[in-house]
Amino acid sequence: MTASVLAAGVLEDTIRAFFQGLPIGAGFALVAMSFVLTYKTSGVFNLAFGAQAFISAATYFELHVRRDWPIWSAVLVAVVLVAPVLGLLLERLIFRHVHASSAVAKLVISLGLLVALPELFKLIVDYNREQPFGAVGIIPDGTTVYRLFGRYPVTRDEIAAFVIVVAAALALAALFRYTRLGLRIRAVVQSPRMTELNGVNADWVSSGSWMLSSFFAGLAGVLLVPTTSSLGTVLEPTGYFPIVISALAAAALGRLVSLPAAMFGGLLLGVVTTQMRTHVPRDNVILAELQGPALPYVMLFAIIVFWPAIRRQVAGADPLLGVSPPPPALAATSRSKGMTIYTRIMALAFFTAVGIWTFGYANNFWISRITHSVIFSIIFLSIVVFTGLGGQIALCQVTFAAIGAFGAMQFAQRWDISVIVGMLAGAAIAAAVGAVLSIPVMRLGGIWLAIATLAFALFFHDVLVKYSWVGGSLFHGRGVPRPEFLGVDFSSRENFLILCVAILVLVGVLVILIRESSTGMALRALRGSETAAESIGVISWRSRVIVFSVSAGIAAIGGGLLAMEERLVGYEANFDPQTGLFWLVIVVVLGARTVEGGIQAGVAFVIFPELVLHRWLGLDGAWRFVLFGFAAISFARHPEGLLEHGKRRSQAMMQRMFARRQPTMATAGAAAGAGPPTDAGAETGDEP
Amino acid sequence: MSLLVADGITKRFAGITAVNDVHIALDAGERVGLIGPNGAGKTTLFNCLLGLLRPDAGSVSFDGQNITRLPVYRRARLGIGRTFQRVELFSGSSVRDHLLFAHRIRSGTGALWKDVLGLGLPKPDEIERCDALLESLGLGGMGDEPIEALSLGQSRLVEVARALMTQPRVVLLDEPSSGLDRAETTALAETLARIQSEQDFGMLLVEHDVELVASFTERTYVLNFGKLITHGPTPEVMGDPEVRAAYLGDFVAGTS
Repeated sequence: MTASVLAAGVLEDTIRAFFQGLPIGAGFALVAMSFVLTYKTSGVFNLAFGAQAFISAATYFELHVRRDWPIWSAVLVAVVLVAPVLGLLLERLIFRHVHASSAVAKLVISLGLLVALPELFKLIVDYNREQPFGAVGIIPDGTTVYRLFGRYPVTRDEIAAFVIVVAAALALAALFRYTRLGLRIRAVVQSPRMTELNGVNADWVSSGSWMLSSFFAGLAGVLLVPTTSSLGTVLEPTGYFPIVISALAAAALGRLVSLPAAMFGGLLLGVVTTQMRTHVPRDNVILAELQGPALPYVMLFAIIVFWPAIRRQVAGADPLLGVSPPPPALAATSRSKGMTIYTRIMALAFFTAVGIWTFGYANNFWISRITHSVIFSIIFLSIVVFTGLGGQIALCQVTFAAIGAFGAMQFAQRWDISVIVGMLAGAAIAAAVGAVLSIPVMRLGGIWLAIATLAFALFFHDVLVKYSWVGGSLFHGRGVPRPEFLGVDFSSRENFLILCVAILVLVGVLVILIRESSTGMALRALRGSETAAESIGVISWRSRVIVFSVSAGIAAIGGGLLAMEERLVGYEANFDPQTGLFWLVIVVVLGARTVEGGIQAGVAFVIFPELVLHRWLGLDGAWRFVLFGFAAISFARHPEGLLEHGKRRSQAMMQRMFARRQPTMATAGAAAGAGPPTDAGAETGDEP
Repeated sequence: MSLLVADGITKRFAGITAVNDVHIALDAGERVGLIGPNGAGKTTLFNCLLGLLRPDAGSVSFDGQNITRLPVYRRARLGIGRTFQRVELFSGSSVRDHLLFAHRIRSGTGALWKDVLGLGLPKPDEIERCDALLESLGLGGMGDEPIEALSLGQSRLVEVARALMTQPRVVLLDEPSSGLDRAETTALAETLARIQSEQDFGMLLVEHDVELVASFTERTYVLNFGKLITHGPTPEVMGDPEVRAAYLGDFVAGTS
């Protein structure tokens, strides 16, 4: 008797969770389908969907809530107008021109957009983030509750979300099956070049699919607001991260190429989510996490690692791919010896001048800024190691930096161990975490690695950091002392700066040594041709795991130093995953290939918003996201970075000038011998 | 006992039997050709030997050891080198780096801790060794050139040099003549023959170019529709009427 009552209760719970899961899953499905759509038609793994969804939702909010527009007209503008136009612009202005680039280069561009678009929108619209949002859906009286079969509660918003998504999926299926556009999209997916030979304008087809996918993203953006807790009461682009991650998991079930799999995957994950919440007991901490914020990340990671279809994935084989010029290698071009010597001399002069100014004239504010620059240079060298040398994208450098910072804090607080030792221990932990994390995903490489590392970064942010053994407790605070070791007290600003510079030099030399030695050769070989590298006995994933681990350690050292400089772990201000995306973007834009590039990025990250934007131009500091975000577009053409590219061009120009003048110079005798070091290395470091 | 033996290799793709019960063997220091028309299964067999594909039946052994289930890199470390039909080089590296790296892999001298201590930088004797091999392949003085600056023929030689730096006991050459004209092919064959006499390694040549196989190899295997139709000393095979009909006739018709 009791057993059957219990069973009936469980059944009822299961059914209720099923109906609650469908609308959530419908949202995942919608975003997942847009992922698949753009990935199939243009090879772009568009992480900027979160940004696109945010823009539509924020537009809707601006119009409907703040300006009192009626619902239908606000939806018309935000979803039917703004979203497709945004998609069209992105395709026309950006992605059309990087068609032949590698998937990773396109991913970097979409990251840049993810950083830039929401900030640009906020600056233009003067978006007021402080005002409570109030979770307004696009259905009048959306919170009205109905009871399915008389007992299972669902809101109007949820019904609307589910119905709209199913309708959209059916419409999409019909489009593919019965219309000319659908046929063309399918053809373009197979081979854009071949389709063009048959008289179809592949570019138009691509535009069409981008508009469509952007429309879906916008629709998802407004539909999900009332049903998603992470969007909360204040609408922020980061609120879409968990949804994007879940959608990625759904899309990954279909290897990013199957629309039906993305749709059913989305619904399935939605139902799994609510079933977990219903049935998994809450008494265990880990199980409790699995019902809440950790679930999307764990699901995505598990699918990437265990879903067999992903392992079998082969790169798209367009028979006419060879017609397009080959994609430029990721940060592959080498620079000439003369250029290296010249750079080192200039760097020495620059740092001497800055050093004299800092220690002789600068006030406390600028000393602190300069220390920050040095520390961020160290952190960014970790990106130089992994992305510049390894040619792979990882999005959790920020997490490793945080691990270093928390390591320094925990060791100093709990065991009263020197903060320097704590920082090094944090670096060792980060390196170990990096190795463990990357072993299962490194074989997949490319975008899968980027997605898996992003999932890890968000997992750390949403879950791990809340544990006291990671993020510390409220009781103890997050204070970190400045170090004192070898009899020297580094607590003064100047002394601490000297320590940071010394560590930067050490790390810089380390990076150069790695680049010039066996490990660097292995990475170049793997970047050049993985098959060929294996044919001479290289274990492809092992070199990458080692380098990833080194890079994690470097980031952690930087993170530890940052905590010491600020005398506390400023986790929210410094180590947010969104900030981590910006780190990658700024390093890649300025030059991920060289130590110099990493340092330039560190200086630019700290000084640029303060000095150039704020003091000189009188602009909001948020413009830096917009500027560097859009500058990421240049990555596809100048993978060596913008500054490096500019330098190479000017060097080539100078060489041509000297070459022309040489005959007249020769008569001048001694003067020619003392020419600048640049033309000593005769071979140019030309771009590909 | 031959050095490299493929015994009863069968590989099917979605119902099509690409290679059907094929047996081939290669002795140390031998030059063997593997020919057959398009779709005969040459590449499939080649990939089974290298470990890029796992056969559905049969076994591959090297120096008496069963290597059927070993991954590519393990076979490379045992001493099976290869070149590629579509040249696969390490863009962004210099010519010498290709050799240096292969050497490091073979000798196991590359390790992170050495790099970190500054012991991983190229040493004079390593550079000398690489340059000596480049010299004997006719690429003397090109060590510092970026790999992108080389012609196709030179790139092929760099591939050979890279394979040789791993001190292989057998090198599998995947259509070395493709993309080269007659004179370049002849020059490549001469260089290969000379370097083989100096370093003593076996070669398996998978080729379309019948002339090259006829002049270069000692024995030849002929595949058609996934089956071994004949094998033996090259001159005999080339004179076999069945081969001429089934393969050469096809070949001539195919290219004209």
